[in-house]
Amino acid sequence: MSPTQKRRFTIVAIILLGVGLATFLALRAFQENIEYFLTPKQVAAGEFEPGQRYRVAGLVRKGSVSTLDDGVTHRFNVTDCKFDVTVQYTGILPDLFREGQAIVANGAFSDTQTMIAAQVLAKHDENYVPNEAADAMMLAQANACDDATDSVSY
Amino acid sequence: MNPFVTVWDFFGRLYHRLASPREFYKISRFTTPVFGLLFLLLTAAGTYLGLFVAPADYQQGDSFRIIYVHVPSAWLSLFIYMVMATAGAIGLIWRMKMAYVVVICSAPIGAAFTALALITGSLWGAPIWGTWWEWDARLTSELILLFLYLGAMALYYAFDDRKTGERATAVLAVVGVVIVPIIHYSVEWWSSLHQGATVFRAGGPAMPSSMLTPLLLMALGFTFFYGYCLFLRAQNMVLHNERNSRWVKDLINELE
Repeated sequence: MSPTQKRRFTIVAIILLGVGLATFLALRAFQENIEYFLTPKQVAAGEFEPGQRYRVAGLVRKGSVSTLDDGVTHRFNVTDCKFDVTVQYTGILPDLFREGQAIVANGAFSDTQTMIAAQVLAKHDENYVPNEAADAMMLAQANACDDATDSVSY
Repeated sequence: MNPFVTVWDFFGRLYHRLASPREFYKISRFTTPVFGLLFLLLTAAGTYLGLFVAPADYQQGDSFRIIYVHVPSAWLSLFIYMVMATAGAIGLIWRMKMAYVVVICSAPIGAAFTALALITGSLWGAPIWGTWWEWDARLTSELILLFLYLGAMALYYAFDDRKTGERATAVLAVVGVVIVPIIHYSVEWWSSLHQGATVFRAGGPAMPSSMLTPLLLMALGFTFFYGYCLFLRAQNMVLHNERNSRWVKDLINELE
């Protein structure tokens, strides 16, 4: 490289480093705002303001799903296998909704443990499995918390 | 003779030939149809295997098959930006004409793939997640990538002087490349609705080869489609940029 090219190379490298550093710091500063949801662990630790809207994500706790007398209001627990949040939602649940499935509930907390959700989304994982193994997969999914001793990620 | 040196020498010569607009034009007249043919063969095979041979997913059923367009488009949207950033740096440091041509001709193709990834993702999200759009880290960062591509295109045409436009666009291409790792790691660094990586993950791909093979064929096919479009666009741009040079005039005289 000629001296001019070396100089230009240095300038390009410095600009790239500077922009990278600035972006890193900006993303660090906005860390909490970029997070899409709270985990049940964060809810248990009280990391929310009452009355504000949040999203909570977790697995649908086995045996926790019930429908109230009006027929359209559902109550269930989302869990990380250690901490639970109760979600109450009036409306149609997503097709993928079932025990052990990760879901995202969007709403406000009525007390420290219960969220009144305005929206429930399904959050599927990165695994793709052929249809013929469906029964085994669904069973494993429903029992995901059986052997868990600590909070799981999803 | 050392085979490594020979191969290196070959690529060195190829690089220098491609650096010359005239040589590039000659080479691309040959490579463009080859890329087009490879694109057709690979995507035809990938489409057939993906739609008719790969099994349905255990929870998403047949709707998971949109992966064969969505994921290759998303990969290409990142790959093309990295090509643009590399070419932009080469252009800025070595003042290589052809590098700028690669930057500018890649931008609309990258924008198209980004838009395709966003649209197919939205169509996929509606039945599976239950929403067309959410402001999570992955979706938002991919949308920013689309704006970067559109910005690069707009910036080039915003200058009357071509050289200034080329340099400004190259700077944007280099600076904007910070978005690429952010998009890739967005699903690991922050909680998101979008799931983690299926193919490029520790422990190998989380899908059987019957589902993975068509995906890789499509990705390779899409890459050749990018090459095909890039070379076609670059041919036009070279002819336009060099319209006052002897060889282009000769070329036109031959046609007439």
